[in-house]
Amino acid sequence: MFRQNKRRTAGRKNFEPSIFQGVTQIYNTRLSFYDIPPIDEITLEEFETWAIDRLKILIEIESCGLRSKSLRETEQVIKPLLLKYLPLNPNPSSSASPPASVIAERKKDHYSHFILRLVFCRTEDLRRKFIKNELVLFKIRYNMLQPKEQREFIAQYSDKLPWQYISQDEKLDILDDLFAATSSTVRNSLVFESGDPSFTISRDQLYQHIQKSEQFIKLPFEKVPNLVASRSVLLRAGSAYIPSTLQLNLLSIEYQDLLTTSLIRTFQSMPRLEEDDRLLPLLNNLSANSSSIEYDMSSKFDAENASDINAVSVTTPAVMKHYPMCATHLQGALMSKSHLKYQGRQQLQLFLKGIGLSIDEAMKFWSYQFTKSNSGITMEKFNKEYKYNLRHNYGLEGARINYKPPDCSRILSKPKPGKGESHGCPYRDLPLDSLITNLNEMGVTDQVDINMVVDDVGRNDYTVACTRVFEFTHKQELAKSKATSSEGMHINHPNLYFDRSRQLEKSS
Amino acid sequence: MTVATSSAGLSSETGAEDTSSTTLENTPTLQSFTRDSENDADGGAPAKKRAAPSSSDMLFYYERLLPFRYIFQWLNHSPKPSKDFTMREFAFEFRSGAYQRYNSFSNQDDFKKSVVNANPMRFEVGAVYSANPKERKNLPKSALKPLSKELVFDIDLTDYDDIRTCCSGTAICTKCWKFIQVATKIMDASLREDFGFNHLIWIFSGRRGAHCWVSDKRARALDENSRKSIVEYLDVVGKHNVKSGKLNLKKPYHPHIERSFNILKDQFATIILREQDPWNTYENNTEIDKKLDELLSFLPEKALQEELRKHWKSSSSNSLTKWEDINVFAKRTLKSQLQVNMLNDAKKDVILYFMYPRLDMEVSKQVIHLLKSPFCIHPGTGNVCVPFDPLKSLVDNDEDSDYGFNPMTAPNLGQLQTEIENWTGNGSTGSNSGVKTLDYEKTSLKPYVDYFAKFVNGLNQEELSVKRERDASDKLDF
Ligand SMILES: [Zn+2]
Repeated sequence: MFRQNKRRTAGRKNFEPSIFQGVTQIYNTRLSFYDIPPIDEITLEEFETWAIDRLKILIEIESCGLRSKSLRETEQVIKPLLLKYLPLNPNPSSSASPPASVIAERKKDHYSHFILRLVFCRTEDLRRKFIKNELVLFKIRYNMLQPKEQREFIAQYSDKLPWQYISQDEKLDILDDLFAATSSTVRNSLVFESGDPSFTISRDQLYQHIQKSEQFIKLPFEKVPNLVASRSVLLRAGSAYIPSTLQLNLLSIEYQDLLTTSLIRTFQSMPRLEEDDRLLPLLNNLSANSSSIEYDMSSKFDAENASDINAVSVTTPAVMKHYPMCATHLQGALMSKSHLKYQGRQQLQLFLKGIGLSIDEAMKFWSYQFTKSNSGITMEKFNKEYKYNLRHNYGLEGARINYKPPDCSRILSKPKPGKGESHGCPYRDLPLDSLITNLNEMGVTDQVDINMVVDDVGRNDYTVACTRVFEFTHKQELAKSKATSSEGMHINHPNLYFDRSRQLEKSS
Repeated sequence: MTVATSSAGLSSETGAEDTSSTTLENTPTLQSFTRDSENDADGGAPAKKRAAPSSSDMLFYYERLLPFRYIFQWLNHSPKPSKDFTMREFAFEFRSGAYQRYNSFSNQDDFKKSVVNANPMRFEVGAVYSANPKERKNLPKSALKPLSKELVFDIDLTDYDDIRTCCSGTAICTKCWKFIQVATKIMDASLREDFGFNHLIWIFSGRRGAHCWVSDKRARALDENSRKSIVEYLDVVGKHNVKSGKLNLKKPYHPHIERSFNILKDQFATIILREQDPWNTYENNTEIDKKLDELLSFLPEKALQEELRKHWKSSSSNSLTKWEDINVFAKRTLKSQLQVNMLNDAKKDVILYFMYPRLDMEVSKQVIHLLKSPFCIHPGTGNVCVPFDPLKSLVDNDEDSDYGFNPMTAPNLGQLQTEIENWTGNGSTGSNSGVKTLDYEKTSLKPYVDYFAKFVNGLNQEELSVKRERDASDKLDF
């Protein structure tokens, strides 16, 4: 019956007409930036099943993220699912153009991506989630490509990517400088790739590796301000030379930018789509499905853990030592200034709620902190201006939504703190000197350790930096509890940091 | 009538008004946006004849000497007045302390007339905006967006006060100017070789520092993120890198740091050990214990530190001897090659720590930040903020060749006035050829103006060729 309803997909309506020659070419390679919308007609049935198949993958990726799985672990989980729901086979080496079966796979991948854009473009929250998970999918698939395909992929997008690989000759010309500038980055990524934190490589081996295997990308220095600031790249005549181990990061930056603007454009053209009464129910149905992606931390906070959390104990070292830097930073600001601006209040209130501070204790804690300095905020003023908001966060006012503490990507997606604000992620937002002071205060004082954290920050890997700090500050506990899974503990949520830290303390 | 606070002016007070706001809106903003902290009028200007100019001195200077023509060309990038100039913000700073932002001028004449009318103590150059800054009141706020500005750097000797022993505060001498000289070399090398900039010029800030203006089109177009990344790249010895006397520098050194070290290492013995001699214990040296602790804290191995501390307590010596002591004692104390390597790294760190340029980072980060224009007069000293070549003296003074530029002999307004008064023409050539000798050409300002004109010319040649290429290919450049 759907055959009769054969129709054009929504994609067509929402994007500028694309160039036909481009369309036949887009299925020439496995992976794409999805920069050309589909224009062929598909059936409603295809529309729905393809979208659901992709959704299954994204839901699994989201779930891996929530379980703090590393990219490597996520890969292990996702690969079998990809084979089942969204296979992408390479071009057979024998024939010049891909066979029909391969084209069909790529078409499904292409369409399903665009259909889910329609599903996820509607709110900022959904867009953020979609981009995050699609980025992971992209990274997994990029890593699955053969080196030759990776080169072809980059060649295909060469007009979009402001890069250029340098020749082996050029590399050898400046080899010593490249080594001096990038060896620590290359070393880190080799350690990361090995998946073994005790992996070591000598200076000579590293030099050999860079000489023989490492490729370098050259691009305008303006493209990579963070790498320039941390002196993680070699600069020559206005170009930055970047080891190709960082290539996936660069690709992700480009892909993320592309996706962000596309989703907003999709959203802006949604009203036209909603005139179509056949698509709307389908999209709504998909949206409902996607709600299982919604974040739920509630199960993670057990009452036993929370029993000793109260208005007094949250300022004690015994509890605060489990805080991630963002929470310490916020609470420090609150305690010294007797005030926090809105964003900071939201972030800390929900964090404290997450660690088990009840509404009554929260009311005591916040009212005391705000009124303690006699700086003008009286109890009446507090009740008038701040109480409602606090109760709102606990789901006791307004729409009565039981708000959950924001995860790191949520925190990172908010506007950066302005003057006098303390919210956000300190790894991203603090000037380097304050960051290092904070690290020292958390007990990270070893120069090598600090450099590693600073390197992560330089690469915008803020949650990696945070996870690393967790590892540095819990070395002993982690060593003792080898039995319980101590690997792959990526911190992507402030409350996860806290819970892990307490758990480790209890178990050791 | 307002009279200059300092009465040591060379020319007599003529009674000319300090026309703070004759033709300009009389609501100057008092916000101190960009002061470069050199305002104290009573600082100890060391050389004689260097004194705060009066407002009539300033008027004379604006009317007859300041090379408006080249400032205009420098900022305009084109033969005809362009938006790069007409939408550029200028700020006036007055004796009263008033600070007036958002002036803009339609051409070179308007520029000069407005400065002469306002007769500010000095004026500053800001960003090019998306609209005319002086019309901002008639525009929605969003219409006035900063679009471009030169990339600027500020180095000031006050940031070296913990190292220099020859002078302190506002005072300088040729010894401590060497810190600035070596800083210009390091910055120059990086900005050219690493970032690929070609059109940069160094300007004496009038008392104890220098500004660098990078005027390449690519530099002017940098957003704040990129500007920040450049300053952080260059800020090797910034506060965040100094923790308990140790620099957090990765080994091997990044090529920029290695190159900087190579520039510094040959001069360390002269500038630090001999001339500044900060660890001299013969004379009464204030805070000597703190200084020695600081030096020792760089060194590896507690044992080595303690031996040296004991030895230096027991007898007096100068810095050169102490530096040699480190090797002597290390031979006895350090046992492994690893420790020796650490010591060598530590000594490199010491050299970088004491001599690497100390930048005022905030000046460089913002596009809208204003900075005193070249050829302004320093209100405290009367010195002209002249451009200079870090490598060679522009006035062919052999004595100065060590410094590239000698701030002690910098052109000074009082001196320039005398030179004009005493000028009698240089033979017959001037008038015969029908070319009028300009006032600045009668003075020692001439080589500096010529140097600046050459710089501006080089910049505009490139601007023109880029424009021509662009017109030809009908494409936008970056
Ligand atoms: Zn001096």
